Amino acid sequence: MNKFVITIGLLLLSNIAQATTEDQISFKSEQQKQLYLELTAELRCPKCQNQNIADSNAVVAKDMRVKTKQLLDEGQNKQQVIDYMINRYGQFAHYQPPFNVATSMLWLLPIGFILFAGFVQVKRSKSKQQVDEPTNLSDLDDELAQLLVSDSNNKIDTSASNNAKTEANVKDIK
Amino acid sequence: MTKKINFRFLPLVVFVLLLGFLLKGLFSDPSERDSALIGKSFPQFELPDLNSNNKMHTPETLLTEPVLVNVWGTWCTTCKYELPFLTKLANEYDVKIVGLYYDQNHAPEFGEYADIPTIRVEVKEMLARLGNPYQYNILDLDRSLSLDLGVTGAPESFLIDANGIVRMHHMGDVNERIWREKLAPVWNEISQ
Amino acid sequence: MIPELGNFALYIAFALSILLSIFPAIGVRQNNARLMAMAPNLSIGLFVFTLFSFSCLVYAFLTDDFTVVNVAQNSNSALPNQYKFAASFGSHEGSFLLWLLMQSGWLFAVAIMSKGLPVDMRTRILTVLGWVCVGFYAYIIISSNPFERTLPYFPVDGRDLNPLLQDIGMIIHPPLLYMGYVGLSVSFAFAIAALLSGNLDSTWAKWSRPWTAAAWAFLTLGITVGSWWAYSELGWGGWWFWDPVENASFMPWLVATALLHSLAVSEKRNAFKSWTVFLAIAAFSLSLLGTFLVRSGVIVSVHAFASDPERGIFILILLALVIGGSLLLYSLRAGNIKSFGKFSIFSRESMLWGNNVLLIAATMVVLMGTLLPLVHKEIGLGTISIGEPFFNQMFTYLIVPFALLLGIAPLVRWKQDKLNNFVTKPVVVIISSVVLTLLWLKVEFNDINLLAALGTCLAVWVVLFTLLELKQTSKKVSLFKLPLSHYSMSLGHIGLAFVIAGVALTSQYSVERDVKMNTGDSAELRGYQFTFDKIKNIEGPNYDGWAAVISVTKQDKPVATMLAEKRFYPVQRNTMTEAAIDDGFFRDIYISLGERLPDGAWALRLYVKPYVRWIWLGGIIVAFAGGLTLFDRRYRNKNVAKVTAQ
Repeated sequence: MNKFVITIGLLLLSNIAQATTEDQISFKSEQQKQLYLELTAELRCPKCQNQNIADSNAVVAKDMRVKTKQLLDEGQNKQQVIDYMINRYGQFAHYQPPFNVATSMLWLLPIGFILFAGFVQVKRSKSKQQVDEPTNLSDLDDELAQLLVSDSNNKIDTSASNNAKTEANVKDIK
Repeated sequence: MTKKINFRFLPLVVFVLLLGFLLKGLFSDPSERDSALIGKSFPQFELPDLNSNNKMHTPETLLTEPVLVNVWGTWCTTCKYELPFLTKLANEYDVKIVGLYYDQNHAPEFGEYADIPTIRVEVKEMLARLGNPYQYNILDLDRSLSLDLGVTGAPESFLIDANGIVRMHHMGDVNERIWREKLAPVWNEISQ
Repeated sequence: MIPELGNFALYIAFALSILLSIFPAIGVRQNNARLMAMAPNLSIGLFVFTLFSFSCLVYAFLTDDFTVVNVAQNSNSALPNQYKFAASFGSHEGSFLLWLLMQSGWLFAVAIMSKGLPVDMRTRILTVLGWVCVGFYAYIIISSNPFERTLPYFPVDGRDLNPLLQDIGMIIHPPLLYMGYVGLSVSFAFAIAALLSGNLDSTWAKWSRPWTAAAWAFLTLGITVGSWWAYSELGWGGWWFWDPVENASFMPWLVATALLHSLAVSEKRNAFKSWTVFLAIAAFSLSLLGTFLVRSGVIVSVHAFASDPERGIFILILLALVIGGSLLLYSLRAGNIKSFGKFSIFSRESMLWGNNVLLIAATMVVLMGTLLPLVHKEIGLGTISIGEPFFNQMFTYLIVPFALLLGIAPLVRWKQDKLNNFVTKPVVVIISSVVLTLLWLKVEFNDINLLAALGTCLAVWVVLFTLLELKQTSKKVSLFKLPLSHYSMSLGHIGLAFVIAGVALTSQYSVERDVKMNTGDSAELRGYQFTFDKIKNIEGPNYDGWAAVISVTKQDKPVATMLAEKRFYPVQRNTMTEAAIDDGFFRDIYISLGERLPDGAWALRLYVKPYVRWIWLGGIIVAFAGGLTLFDRRYRNKNVAKVTAQ
């Protein structure tokens, strides 16, 4: 609890401490700064290899950063700024792909695969009524069982076809 | 159970499809992009002439007839290679070419200002040496029109028809081959 | 002279690989022991000659032999020695020779450590690796020879190594990563050999497992080091950019992780076998695909090699043969594979199936995200970008079920378990996870961020369950007698928990500030006071530049004095930002020096990045856990031999 109090105290103190240095860009609010950081991370520098505009030193990236700030100052929201850039530099300028028939695969394929695999699994477990006898090893898994066996028989015996034998042995040991 | 779809062939089929795309991808330039402005009207602007602060250019003065707008700067090395060819285009094929001067250094937000008289001297010297294809040059000091055009650097060229619609965009220098294969067909169409 | 010897050795190695790919295979078919016995010897020879060839290249670099094109273009006499060494694999050609060195190294390792395997199986495995080698060696000899000469007009000095690559990361990252990529060829060879022979029992999985674990451990370490390197060298404070080149390494990792878990089921329960074989093929195929993406220039990336369509075509043909061929073989033969182990819907097998499904879904996300822009453009829909927002969103969704399953899976019994056994424990653990997480975030940051809380909570969940599992096991078996592979699992999971927590905390709680500073100025960020003491000139062996000296204090107590540099490399005419990093277990302070502004002040970017080290710490733990499996007594040579003999 003490540490908690101290931490709170520190945070308050640090907020009071006045920064003497100018920020390169003066933001109206913390929200605007966050929005600006998000946008400059999501917008792609159209001239560079593969960099967002925050990380790039290209002239066009600088211009886009300045424009982003300017649009935010005018009160535009995140989507409006993104649209502004897309209208000029194309979809390429935004790291989030647009939703269309082709790009829908980005979402549908993995989700479809998960659903399909789940379906197969349920089907498989239903179609095979009889499951192998559950092991009597309580929480031990085969690996341990085999270890015990190997210790007692002084040999390693791991081939899965011998599982039944292994289990029997473990019962004996117990 | 009647499911006899053989899923084991699926990976192979997907892979073969993918191979096709990869092969196609090998022969196209990954950094080449279509401009977002194709088919849209040329953006609004009001910018001064490179050689005179008092003379202003607007879409009304620029877009009276089909025009090739060429984004360039004296700092740009590739521009030096296309100037002679552009001059030839202007003289021999009667292409109306207007320059959009793109300055790299001007950044008032960071306290950096371009020196216009110096630019004028440099431009004059360079055009005298390599040929002057431009009817006039628009000075886009803060690169605002360039941003509206989606320009990422220089040289870049736009073909605009008589109605002020952007019809073609090219990044990089305009040379004999590019003109013949990419730009001339569109130019011939809009200048008829 | 030395480069010619290296070149010659390369040709001999190529010839050996051709022999390896033909004669032992005939031996298997005719059951000719003498022909089969050639395989290990040829493999050893292949490695020896490749090693010699690589040494010749390194020698050329260390002795500044600018008559070799590769040296002239990637090195410089002023380059420090360790970077001259690194430069030998800094170019496309050199790195491919390193790739071959690794490939033949694995071949060598398989040859000398597989004496316990049945001779026909061993021969098949080496032969398959031989086929892969033929393709690679042909590629380097025909289109990427690292020993090409500049004679007769050679330059006085070289063009230097790209300054971005002049870092300790360059010395260790590529070898580790390549060890991983190429190591997967061994799992691949085991799978193909098994398909060819039609003999796919659980012993096959048992043989393949340590090799897969080894390759996977290298790959994990390689990716981890790569992430740390990008963080410390690029100067933007990022540790993962979803760049195609990173994705190219991440995809084989995801599939190899699935493979490792699937192999466990195949080995112990004789189930999932056809699937396991498919994963083994997929893992290596994706590492080849990654190579293609990096070296052909089809995709825009920050770290791609100089592209060349001709090389691209060659690798594409290689891909078509290796991947296409093996997938064809798979689709024809996999139908014969019978899995016996039956299990119910709630069992360890099902849990591991879930793990596999989620990992493959994640691979699909990365694969689609990497290649769809290419496809999208080729089918005429225009250029798009797929990056951070998309990947982060998808991985946030995927990690939740993945971590939840991962926590309980080790407690679930094989074959069948009762769901009723799993009501109280998870509820207790989930409540403790939430409480612990909230306390942690409240005390540390005094601000509960939802995403960070989710990630941290998952991490705590995994750790608590892992400890719970160990505790339960210890009731049955002394922890000293527990097989190493069991510890490997627990440790691997805990490592992943570190990664998850690190990622969640650092992405949500990192703060940054872009400031403008003159000497004497100071700025505050998350309780730290940054004071710009002075700017000084620096002069390195092959660069000069500026260094900003910044002292960092917290509550007037000194924390660190940091040196953020801006270097100019005259040979490459390149300016580099060398970030100053004060690393710590709980937070990093990161400063990168920007440009000098017209009014004489300096632009600086300050960051405080909490828990960022946990990402790499976790990665190292995971890799170590993978390595631990190798020392499990079950996989030691003698035992494998014993099983085989039975």
